[in-house]
Amino acid sequence: MSKNLSQLARRQGIDNTLFQQLVVTDAGDKHSNLKQKRKTLAKEFLMGEAVIHGAASFYDFLDDGTSHNNKQHNANKKAYVCNGSSCLCADTQAVVKDKLVNQFDSDNVGHVTCLGRCAENSAFQIAEHNFSGSDIDNLSNIVEEISTISNEHYQIRCTLNEPILTAEILDVTEYYQLFDQLSKQCITRDEQEKLLDKLVGSGLRGRGGAGFPTGIKWLSCLNEKHDEKYIVCNADEGDAGAFSDRYLLEQRPHAVLFGMLMAGLLTDAKTGVLYIRAEYPEAIKQTEQAINEFKQLVLNKKVTVDFNFKIIKGAGAYICGEETALLRSIEGQRPVVSVRPPFPTQSGLFGCPTVVNNVETFGSIHFIFSNLAQKENSTVEKYKNLGNGKSTGSKLLSLDGAFNAPGIIEVAMGTPLTQVIELAGGFAKNIKALHIGGPLGGVVPLSEIDKLTIDFESFAENGFLLGHASIIGIPQSMKMIEYIAHLFEFTALESCGKCYPCQIGSVRGQEMFEQAISGEQTINRELLNDLLDTMQLGSLCALGGGVPLPIQNILQYFKDELTPYFTNTEFVKGAHS
Amino acid sequence: MSQGNKALKQTVKQAFLNGVAYPIDKDETILSFSRRLNDASIIPTLCDDTRLEPYGSCRVCNVDVALTADGPKKVMASCHTPISEGMHIYTHSPRIEKLRRNIIELVLSDLPEQTLVNSQNHPRTEFEQVVADTGVGQVRFNQGRKSVASVPFTTNKKGESKLCDESHPYMRMDLSLCIDCNRCVRACDEIQGEQVLSVAGRGFDARIIKGQDVSFNDSDCVSCGACAQTCPTGAISDVFRQQLAKAESKSDHIDKVRTICSYCGVGCNLEVSVQNNKILSIEAPKGAAVNSGHTCLKGRYAWRFYDHDDRLDSPLVKIDGKLTKASWEHAFDYIAKRLTDIKTNHGSDAIAGISSARCTNEENYLLQKMMRVVIGTNNIDCCARVCHSPTAYGMQHSFGTGAATNSIDDLKQTEFILLIGANPTAAHPVTGAKIKQKVMKGTPLIVLDPVKTELARFANWHIQLRPGTNVAVLNMMAYFIIESGLVSKDFVNTRTEEYQSYHQAIMALDINKLATIAGVDKTLVKQAAIAYAKADKAMSFHGLGVTEHSQGSRAIMCIADLVMLTGNIGRKGVGMNPLRGQNNVQGAADMGCQPHQGAGYFPVDDLEHIKYYQQHYQVNKDSIVNLSQWPDKVGYKIPEMFNAALAGDLKALWILGEDVVQTDPNQQHVVASLENLDLLIVQEIFLSETAKMADVVLPGTSFLEKSGTFTNGERRVQKVNAAVPPRKGCKTDGEIIVEMMNNLGYKQASYDANSMLEEISQVVPFFAGITWQNLGLDGLQWPVTKEGVETKTLHVDSFKRGLGKFHFFEFEESQEMLKHSEQFPFILTTSRNLEHYNAGTMTRRTSNEAIVSEDVLLVSKGDAADKGITDRSKVKLFSARGEITLTAQISDKVKQGILFTTFHFPELMINRVTGDVTDKHTKCPEYKVVAVDIKKA
Repeated sequence: MSKNLSQLARRQGIDNTLFQQLVVTDAGDKHSNLKQKRKTLAKEFLMGEAVIHGAASFYDFLDDGTSHNNKQHNANKKAYVCNGSSCLCADTQAVVKDKLVNQFDSDNVGHVTCLGRCAENSAFQIAEHNFSGSDIDNLSNIVEEISTISNEHYQIRCTLNEPILTAEILDVTEYYQLFDQLSKQCITRDEQEKLLDKLVGSGLRGRGGAGFPTGIKWLSCLNEKHDEKYIVCNADEGDAGAFSDRYLLEQRPHAVLFGMLMAGLLTDAKTGVLYIRAEYPEAIKQTEQAINEFKQLVLNKKVTVDFNFKIIKGAGAYICGEETALLRSIEGQRPVVSVRPPFPTQSGLFGCPTVVNNVETFGSIHFIFSNLAQKENSTVEKYKNLGNGKSTGSKLLSLDGAFNAPGIIEVAMGTPLTQVIELAGGFAKNIKALHIGGPLGGVVPLSEIDKLTIDFESFAENGFLLGHASIIGIPQSMKMIEYIAHLFEFTALESCGKCYPCQIGSVRGQEMFEQAISGEQTINRELLNDLLDTMQLGSLCALGGGVPLPIQNILQYFKDELTPYFTNTEFVKGAHS
Repeated sequence: MSQGNKALKQTVKQAFLNGVAYPIDKDETILSFSRRLNDASIIPTLCDDTRLEPYGSCRVCNVDVALTADGPKKVMASCHTPISEGMHIYTHSPRIEKLRRNIIELVLSDLPEQTLVNSQNHPRTEFEQVVADTGVGQVRFNQGRKSVASVPFTTNKKGESKLCDESHPYMRMDLSLCIDCNRCVRACDEIQGEQVLSVAGRGFDARIIKGQDVSFNDSDCVSCGACAQTCPTGAISDVFRQQLAKAESKSDHIDKVRTICSYCGVGCNLEVSVQNNKILSIEAPKGAAVNSGHTCLKGRYAWRFYDHDDRLDSPLVKIDGKLTKASWEHAFDYIAKRLTDIKTNHGSDAIAGISSARCTNEENYLLQKMMRVVIGTNNIDCCARVCHSPTAYGMQHSFGTGAATNSIDDLKQTEFILLIGANPTAAHPVTGAKIKQKVMKGTPLIVLDPVKTELARFANWHIQLRPGTNVAVLNMMAYFIIESGLVSKDFVNTRTEEYQSYHQAIMALDINKLATIAGVDKTLVKQAAIAYAKADKAMSFHGLGVTEHSQGSRAIMCIADLVMLTGNIGRKGVGMNPLRGQNNVQGAADMGCQPHQGAGYFPVDDLEHIKYYQQHYQVNKDSIVNLSQWPDKVGYKIPEMFNAALAGDLKALWILGEDVVQTDPNQQHVVASLENLDLLIVQEIFLSETAKMADVVLPGTSFLEKSGTFTNGERRVQKVNAAVPPRKGCKTDGEIIVEMMNNLGYKQASYDANSMLEEISQVVPFFAGITWQNLGLDGLQWPVTKEGVETKTLHVDSFKRGLGKFHFFEFEESQEMLKHSEQFPFILTTSRNLEHYNAGTMTRRTSNEAIVSEDVLLVSKGDAADKGITDRSKVKLFSARGEITLTAQISDKVKQGILFTTFHFPELMINRVTGDVTDKHTKCPEYKVVAVDIKKA
């Protein structure tokens, strides 16, 4: 990251970010104008032209300045076909792509990694509208009338007596009264700390995957002395297979806004920024609408608060889900991962103290603070009492099309995985493993399923990762050697390119497996082990550091299937102890 | 127990490096901790450069970290992980060594195979050294993709399409060698602040770009070379580094000589690589206090003039109106005879000397000594006359010392910057870059300048005043500070005098009238003034945009007033800091090359000090200039020399390395004056326009061929070391003067920097403790006490003159405007650009000429439209003195009614247009305000 660029971006503030200017400038622009426009932007933002070009060229959906005849180019396509893991496992995309190519010509069809339509698969996007399931059969109507509504349907269930994340918000005005009530009690620093104590007491941990205690994070931001602070909602749900954040933004946006408001109250921040991925147009729309409703409440004096929300629309880069990359993206820098420390709570957006939390984390806040009064049975206590003590509260699970009843399920932490599968009506097809927690989560063979409960600890202890708790069924028909190649390819495509283990390691890994599949070269187990160790130990962030986990799971549990691809008997010899 | 004792009793925090306990420092990373306690290469890294922020990309600096001796170990990148108490660091555990090898193997898998071979046999680059140190023997991956495949080709000057970017006169880029460590990108941003470099794409295909993916030549690159210097592989390089690398690969012996740049007053240290008396390359030494491994394209690249074919190689004597080669012996004899004749017939004061701010302290000292001790006149001046003489005069009157009060390093601590009439990113590039870094990171900046300079773009307040109205705006600022009750009362009461009358005069001003005169928005001035006054630590910098005016000295005293009003002096991070234009303009004045003050600034017309000088120069009744002949009146200032020559009072002039014909204002007048002399002697390295008029030309040497000292703009006396011997037929300027003195009958010991400095330290009190030995690598900032203690900040407890003195001056319109503005309604103002230096004598004999090859006239859009001028078309520029033709460029850098140009192409004769108004107190010419008009050519 560049401190200079952060501070130059800060001069313009959140309402005039270079990144959003790029997203706007680029939309459908002709190449010839682009250079001049970017030159003007460089002048306006007092940055070098290279900064603008460098940032823009990072994203899938922004013009990278190369010729439009370049087939690699992925910006401004007429249609995008989803190539996420779930659609891959569902084996639906060849047909979808054919139909799109038929309609638009191959040069006009781009790719997108996961539209979050994993419950239905067959996912694609046209003119910022997402489609899935049987929608592809309706392509001609969609092309004619883009507002044609997708027939998407997925189930939303909750196993709790008292829903937390899936609770319906019937009256928005009433919903925000809790904030008014709390903000009146929370004037002094002591009172802020008291409420933060409650949050710490609830045991809430970040739902993005890392599981950091939310109350502690907010407290450390409160402790920073700075007259400008930010609350950032990480709504860049890029994990293939995950769509729980999309669900919350589309259907419970006020829960998210409320959580951000509370974070602002408890850390002295006055601005909330939602970074929502471009792949989720409906989520952006619904959140925008919710912000307008909130603004109206403030105007009508139903809520008293000095807090502004701002939506930043992503532009196609998985790494932006990593919090420091996300912050750099907002600032208009290239969204590469920054070193820590400093942590965002010390120096985040524009160099100011910043709380970055996941959508679901914010979504849990209203419940936790909704009834503090009762000593025995306060909502804090209730929340804390769900789960195993270390992982508390509830968790949303995204179940993909491999299940008979795919969709979103809210369960208490600690719920057995078998129970979840049962709730989802079992598998719709022959499954050999579950990929849980996104591309960096573990691959769980059927044999291990009954050992797992939905909480951070159970997964970690068994050598897996709960992550963001998306569940993809890997069918028997999927060759594990290809699935590993797919994971490496995904990492190679999405690596920010900063650290060598991920930047080069992912490509070499992809090549090793592709060459094994084609028969060009069998895999040297020692070299593969070295590569996986190097990525795991050496990578700067969880992308390069995380992808070895599912690969190692597969190597461990699917030996028989993989042995033929390895040199001699080294496969067994070199196996991890 | 006192607080101090308590602190001492506290146990020192420590951590363990490979099992040994060491104390830890605040804000240290594991890497800096380990390097401090061991050698710098203990932990290998690729992406780290100590001058840049920790980046954490290469991961080669990973170490094992445990919280207890036998506790579980975690792999951590040492460059960005803070060291903390009790940590156990293992830099070479087996798994760490393996990890490093595996990472390097990955990097090698994307590089030409040759790299591994080189590393194993004869590591040539920093990267190859790391490969060798980590012991990677092979790349085990099957041949795969190479990221260089995605790099587009660049067209070079010959029109060939190549992978290597050879489009630029200096810079080179070959991405097949690039390891994506991004040091170049970060250096461009964090050191130079230009952001010409970035990265395109992501992941494996991420690659370094210039601008919007254009060639070096088409980019906005300022050729500072920071990228080339930090690149660990040579992927980004320059023509000279490539030449050096080639020589190094043959492992011939190469000398490294540390010296000081001879362009601007920043005083960058240079490291010159020399082989067989030929210079191969110049770099900036990383540890140098002044420039820590950075310099600009002039210092780094514009040195090829030193062995240019145009160099003089023999003394020339005018015979029958023609300069003819002569022996040194003949030349000295000839001069000695002529000077003696003139002295006998017309007196000592018929002879004058102009010294050179480009030459060493020792040489300047010698020339003024020759004039005073051998000729017997105070007619000695230097080019400070035409640049910062008002600074010296004004600051002496306000504070007592005519030099920067603080150090450039104070920028690290300052919280506010006030920049007046200076364009440091062009004229003082390394200091300019430091200011820009501060400002980009949020330090507030006021720029007072008629031109929208690079830093003005970044300023919080750019007060774009009409040229020549500094006094008006500075008075407005004082008014608003007083009006807002922001005067630093304690400081004013205890440290200054004459405040009351100043206060009254300021408060009686008509602010609206002043705002109209200066063409500024008074609200903007008020906001700026208040912000300045509220800052705890504000530093001011100024340049020739303040001094080269009819009210130059007065504007200096107005700045001093602001500094005292707000108590911004005598501490770290504050002060008043002139940006000296030439490498040794501070030194030339220090050494006494001024008509009114001798070496060390004592008045020449004061009996007590006359005695001081006589004593120190060991003058007696038998001396060439004996006690009774000793000059006791103030000599001619440069403009007065020309007038005296024209009037026939001045008969002989000795000019050391100054092309007055090209650089002094009102050229016709200068030429006529020189023509009227009986004897003109010029010491030069090229046959300049002035040298062409000389009766005798003596071939001197460039800074690369001589030793001595330069004093930079922050009073830092630094060692100049000869990198190569003098060019054949030439002598160092010091030698020339010494031999001349001897020829004139004065016994002056032969020139060497060491003994000259010894003599100077006895005459100049603030040099008392300076010796050639104790100057060390980074020099010393004067005053230096006898004990060798230097001074970073002046006027700490009291001013040199006792109390600081407030001066009030009314704004006065320049005579130039009063006389000519009706007929010539535009105002022309001039300045330096980055690529060239003054008359271009040196820079234009380098490839800098290929980067910028003409002076252009900046015209506002409105004026261009009114006059029917199109961009890049020729225009005629004319004043009461003359007319020239040049190219116009439509620009938003100037307001309507204002024109701007540089002055590096003397054939354009910009000084045909400039006038002869001068500063009232110092006779510094008013280059910055010229009444002109333009029309389509």
